[in-house]
Amino acid sequence: MILGKLIDYLKVSAHQVARKRTRVFLTALGIAIGVAAVVGTVALGEGVRYQAVEAIKDQSDLTLIEATADIREGAIQFITPAKIDELGAISHVEASSAVVREAYTTKRQTYLEVVGIDPGGIEGVIQPEFLRGENLEPGSRQAVLGHDVAETLQRYEGVRFGDTIPILVRRYDDDGMPVDEEVQFTLVGVLQERDDAFDQVMLIDRGVAQGLRGDETAFDGVLIRVDQPEEVFGVVDGVKDLGLTAKGAFQQIESVNRLMDVVVLILAFFAGVSLIVGVLMIVNTMVTSVFERTREIGITMAIGASPADVIYLILAECFYIGLIGGVLGDLLGIAFTGVINTFGKAFIIAQLGDTFSTFAEGDITLITPEILAIGMVIAIVLSLASGLYPALKAAHLNPVTAIRTGV
Amino acid sequence: METIIETRHLNKAYNDRVIALADVNLTIEKGEFIALLGRSGSGKSTLLNILGGLDAPTSGEVRIDGKNIDFSDRKSLITLRRESIGFIFQSFNLIPALTAQENVEYPLLFNYHDRTTRRERAADLLLLVGLGDRAHHYPREMSGGEQQRVAIARALVGDPLIILADEPTGNLDSKTRDEIFSLMRQVNRERDTTFLIVTHERELGKRTDRTIELLDGSVVT
Repeated sequence: MILGKLIDYLKVSAHQVARKRTRVFLTALGIAIGVAAVVGTVALGEGVRYQAVEAIKDQSDLTLIEATADIREGAIQFITPAKIDELGAISHVEASSAVVREAYTTKRQTYLEVVGIDPGGIEGVIQPEFLRGENLEPGSRQAVLGHDVAETLQRYEGVRFGDTIPILVRRYDDDGMPVDEEVQFTLVGVLQERDDAFDQVMLIDRGVAQGLRGDETAFDGVLIRVDQPEEVFGVVDGVKDLGLTAKGAFQQIESVNRLMDVVVLILAFFAGVSLIVGVLMIVNTMVTSVFERTREIGITMAIGASPADVIYLILAECFYIGLIGGVLGDLLGIAFTGVINTFGKAFIIAQLGDTFSTFAEGDITLITPEILAIGMVIAIVLSLASGLYPALKAAHLNPVTAIRTGV
Repeated sequence: METIIETRHLNKAYNDRVIALADVNLTIEKGEFIALLGRSGSGKSTLLNILGGLDAPTSGEVRIDGKNIDFSDRKSLITLRRESIGFIFQSFNLIPALTAQENVEYPLLFNYHDRTTRRERAADLLLLVGLGDRAHHYPREMSGGEQQRVAIARALVGDPLIILADEPTGNLDSKTRDEIFSLMRQVNRERDTTFLIVTHERELGKRTDRTIELLDGSVVT
């Protein structure tokens, strides 16, 4: 019933709009330019965001997350065996493994960042490729070195594959004085270069590390492998729900997103200023149109239209202006991004530097259905809003004077 | 006979000074075909506008089809116009953007009729006024007489009790004027629709059931 009436109004208004198509087209063009500016700038922002995120995905191990202790409401949420199980149960977690983190030095005072982890965890979570050797044997004092740290130890200390690494572990005696105990680890494996934090890490058995620390129940974190890159943020939320902190390469994406949100918003805002011009054009067109049709509106009311009917009829015309403006605006916006891709890309890539060299392969702008839909919605909503004043003006006409004096 | 329009002590003044109607008492029966005569400024149009619920009297009562009209109730005035009254104007006043058929359907748009009913009723009425073949023509493609025929069909489409016509033949040549007049008379006889026709041509007055003449806002007896 209501819908049928709406369609009827739209049909009548379609006639009115068709009668003055040049004027409607020009007015719609005004709003279209505003929409195109917004669509273009947002598409540019989204394109840069997309490329930056892709660059991060390329250059880092996105699906690896580490959950660590966090302070919530004044209480530390420790990594407990129960939490470890809960983390492993989050959906899309492919594998997880509790770790202890230590800082050792070699006898020659080379600093070593140490991660104590089960050999199974190395396989399942870190998913290493061995340049040389193989994984740890459970419970033994063996070490697997990351690519860079292996290189350092070989160069400065002459440690080679199969050698033992003399390591000083600092402990405290009964009087609280530090005592360095020498422990020997056998180098059983070296990882290939991964371009992530594990290049700098010495991996040892978790039980061994806990034993050396003197606390068998202490955990410093849980390494988590997510099954797909798209699920990373879902898993991160799951970790946070457990009261823990999540760290990983995804944080870079978060920062990019935060930055781009602001950038896109500001760009869109300034582009949107041109929408004001479009709005004023619609107000002007519709006020003129109402004035020109004063008598017609009076007649319409005399033959039974209520003020509300008149408002709907005028707004239906504005709807068409918005619809045409939205379609034109989206098309112009797409054309605008095409221009940016063709002429602006080289300039933007030069400004961003080598890190974003991947940009050169794809388009620097990204048009999504959402952006186009938002363009349509902006055009239609603004048109309807612009029509409100002329529509109210029409609805308040006195039919008697409108018929007598109207042009 | 059944009384369809009744006014009691109807007064209308503009700005408290210009008196348009002074103590107008009328009784009009259902199916009457009446000419409302008078010079310009005698209050004919004002009376018509008040009877059609477009204007409010300063004082006095109007009863249409037995019901008192409350001029402060805008909704009931709209209902009155939708259901009981049909207007015909001097300058036809069709909507230029709509075809003859659409112009006739137009009032039903606001009266919650479905599309099929609207289309059928409008087509029937266009046949009645002799324009069955011009349904899809726009007003600018029609002569004055044809436009006024469309306007008559439009006034009839809501099946009103009363047609209020303000100088319906004022803009037409004498031959067309006679045709339009005959058409209104025919509708009046066939459908028992009450006609109140404002005119300043006494000639036409002779072809009606009765004439009411206004002079300076009062009925001349």
